[in-house]
Amino acid sequence: MTWFNRLASPKLTLVVLGLLGAGVLLVYPGEVRSDWALTVPLTLLAINLACAVATNPVFRQQSALLAFHLALLAIVAFAAAGRLTYLKGELELAEGEVFEGTLTRHESGPWHRSQLARARFANDGYTIRYEKGVRRAETRNAVRWLDDTGRERHAVIGDNEPLVRHGYRFYASFNKGFAPVFMWHPAGGAPQRGTINLPTYPIHEFRQALEWTIPGTQTTLWTMLQFDEVLLDPEQVSRFRLPERHTLVIRIGDMRHELAPGARLALPQGVLVYERLGTWMGYTVFYDWTLPWLFVACMLAVTSLAWHFWKKFAAQPWDR
Amino acid sequence: MATELQLLWMALLLYTLAGSTAIGATVLATRFERVILAMILAGLAAHALSLGMRWERLGHGPFITMFEILSSNVWSLLLIYAFAYWRAPAVRPGAAVVMPILLVMMAWSLVTSPAAGHYPPTYRTPWLYVHVLFGKIFLGAVLIAVGIAGLILLRRAGVRVARLTQLPDAGRLENLAFRFMALGFIFETLMLIAGAIWAQDAWGRYWAWDPLETWAFATWLALACFIHLRVTVRLEPHYSAAVIIAVFVLAFLTFFGVPFVSTAPHKGAV
Repeated sequence: MTWFNRLASPKLTLVVLGLLGAGVLLVYPGEVRSDWALTVPLTLLAINLACAVATNPVFRQQSALLAFHLALLAIVAFAAAGRLTYLKGELELAEGEVFEGTLTRHESGPWHRSQLARARFANDGYTIRYEKGVRRAETRNAVRWLDDTGRERHAVIGDNEPLVRHGYRFYASFNKGFAPVFMWHPAGGAPQRGTINLPTYPIHEFRQALEWTIPGTQTTLWTMLQFDEVLLDPEQVSRFRLPERHTLVIRIGDMRHELAPGARLALPQGVLVYERLGTWMGYTVFYDWTLPWLFVACMLAVTSLAWHFWKKFAAQPWDR
Repeated sequence: MATELQLLWMALLLYTLAGSTAIGATVLATRFERVILAMILAGLAAHALSLGMRWERLGHGPFITMFEILSSNVWSLLLIYAFAYWRAPAVRPGAAVVMPILLVMMAWSLVTSPAAGHYPPTYRTPWLYVHVLFGKIFLGAVLIAVGIAGLILLRRAGVRVARLTQLPDAGRLENLAFRFMALGFIFETLMLIAGAIWAQDAWGRYWAWDPLETWAFATWLALACFIHLRVTVRLEPHYSAAVIIAVFVLAFLTFFGVPFVSTAPHKGAV
């Protein structure tokens, strides 16, 4: 028996499937880095399958079985290509803000070439319904972007409906909250508008505070949103909304200020104007160009397997 | 809610009668097959009414709580089993093995709370129905194979009740069980594909090795191993029967054990 035949052995397939099972069970509790525990058995399986297809005459006699095994090989190849080129990340956009390609957190395959800057879109606000007990129901997020011809496009994304731009799939997440909007007028400089995204609401309902630094200065502000209303009543169906009355507490060193919308705060480096309270939305982004090809390979695998068994079982009735 | 539960109890009573008759018929070598099928069908009708009324009252299908998952699976497994029972006479003696398994599930459902659960927004997709349908057909096919495998093992263990001695030889029984396992393999593959499509839209990833995904894939691997083992090693029927039961145990734990111990995945985000 040549080494090629040994690699094509159906008994080796059983061993490799066992190794894959062991790899899965190692990955599951997070004991081992998933890359190696799964990559090694999957590579062995691909080699075993390829050798078997090349040498085993049964594949030349049974075309459906051949199609099934080739589809399995394609699935392994696409899954590997996907892991090398994927991107998974997170971003936050205040209402009206445009995504320019910067992620707050991300991981990607070594061969991922970012096209995120082309996937610009704006967050036009959202509605979220809550059932009794503050259980999140539907999320509807209006988004806007310019297509390749320069035409403005609008869509509403949310549960089960991502925005797909240049292969990147953007999902509105459960991560969202309040965002005070400021205008900073530096002494002798051009004014700048900015927002700060307070911690996620309602998960961090009692921690609506954040420390931040005014752009171009060393001044650090501690900002807290204060309101008395119950926005999401556990006893009834409700919607995420802004409080009707609120104040923004600003602390700079030992100084404490309470700002209402439109209030101005004079500082040595300029004037800070608190314009209004808005919202922000958190998104997850996912990129994997292999998705449609994986789907085609999976459907080919299952169809050819069904065809193979159909031919095999049709020869003898099931009722005997 | 009272009518729903009364109908459910009525269904459970009919299933229990059908199961007891099936066991009695196997021991006594009598043929009450039409009576057993009629009782199963009457139970299914009452059960369907109970599930339908709950669906109407809550505004969503029985996919959330353990009570709903167990109840709907008892219904769907019995529906699939009743179809096979009607169309393939060779699987009928297996009712003596299958019905006790379903009775355990019924008993389990009775000790769980029938209270409503939260229906997550990620469940509002047609892919949920496609995924669940394929999953139910998969488990139903494997359950039919388990009925046949149980007969092979009972006979091998020396249980000499009359009906078992009248059955075809172990090789033919095992061949029939293998057909249902092959059918189960196809539908489990479809279930995983539909689940991956749903997960991509619902959670922004098609696969993340969450507990349900991991154990569903482990079950798929076990089924693939069984099919490959049977083709390459040509197992003795009783070994094959033992592997079929092992695969079913794994699938059963995946369906009903993992959601029971893990609340995080497949429940939608907060």
